[in-house]
Amino acid sequence: MITALTLSPLLAQVGSGRIQGGWEYIWAAYIIAWASLSLYALSLWLRRPGQASHDSKE
Amino acid sequence: MSDLLKTVLQVGSAVAALASVGLGVWLGVKWAPPRSRVNARPVLLGMAALALALLVLGNWMGLVWTPSEREMGDVYRIIYVHVPAMWMAMLALVVNFACCVGYLLKTSWKTDALAEATAEVGLLFGTYGLVLGAIWGKPTWGTYWDWDPRLTAMAIMLVTYVAYMALRRFVEDPEKRAVWSSVVGIISFVNLPIVWFSVKWWRSLHQVQSTPKTVDPDMTLALRVNAWASLILLTLFLLHRYRTALATREAEVALPEALPTDVPGPNRASEVA
Repeated sequence: MITALTLSPLLAQVGSGRIQGGWEYIWAAYIIAWASLSLYALSLWLRRPGQASHDSKE
Repeated sequence: MSDLLKTVLQVGSAVAALASVGLGVWLGVKWAPPRSRVNARPVLLGMAALALALLVLGNWMGLVWTPSEREMGDVYRIIYVHVPAMWMAMLALVVNFACCVGYLLKTSWKTDALAEATAEVGLLFGTYGLVLGAIWGKPTWGTYWDWDPRLTAMAIMLVTYVAYMALRRFVEDPEKRAVWSSVVGIISFVNLPIVWFSVKWWRSLHQVQSTPKTVDPDMTLALRVNAWASLILLTLFLLHRYRTALATREAEVALPEALPTDVPGPNRASEVA
């Protein structure tokens, strides 16, 4: 027989009807975004044309 | 955050991003071509600082300032990096399509170089945007991947642009490479409207497009700030990649063996400059 006592742990698992936590996914997403942008910026810098030094000379 | 500050942020970030795009176009004309004497360093550093500041602010708003979502809780906060990435990917690939059509209508190394730049940068944003979407999918759908129309169409589109980039690597003749890749670019673009409208055309696991009109007003400002920051980054990436592509093209056409036999070298080299 289902009583309020047996239901409460079940309801606790359900939570407030929304996804609980999940911050590990959020951090992973933001870190991947920043890493992608940073690495691509680095790749552009490494591939910059050899004559780029004219910027600093003129 | 007061309404006045919100308005200032909304208008300020938009103006900054659109001004950066304008500056990016100007630098593309004046600074990107080989042997340019324009000193773009202060402008480029300013644009990079602005992009970084807006990105940090936008990420902070997404992670801290905005409220939790009714059903997804905090996990929805991935929207602030996932959606701008996808928007930038689509924007870059639309420009790529325009360049591909433009090259076939009127041959120009500059158009070809911009096509190369937009494909690569579009692929960057699209790829990490897709990865972020998969990460978002795990806690909300219970799986990282599902062969639903939106995800499948997006994956196919990215594969076609990988093929586009691979083709550009494998074909040594600059003329043939430009023509063939333009054709592949146009074919690849056919998939983009399918990606965009897939969530409307089919009953999809993926939600409808997240735009300022479809998300809660409390989330709009953070989404916009992240999007404007991404637009400045997109402009900077395209500008630098375009410049590299132009320099590469000039070096290629300066080498007689890289050219078709019926095209004189010096004339083609002068087209790049």
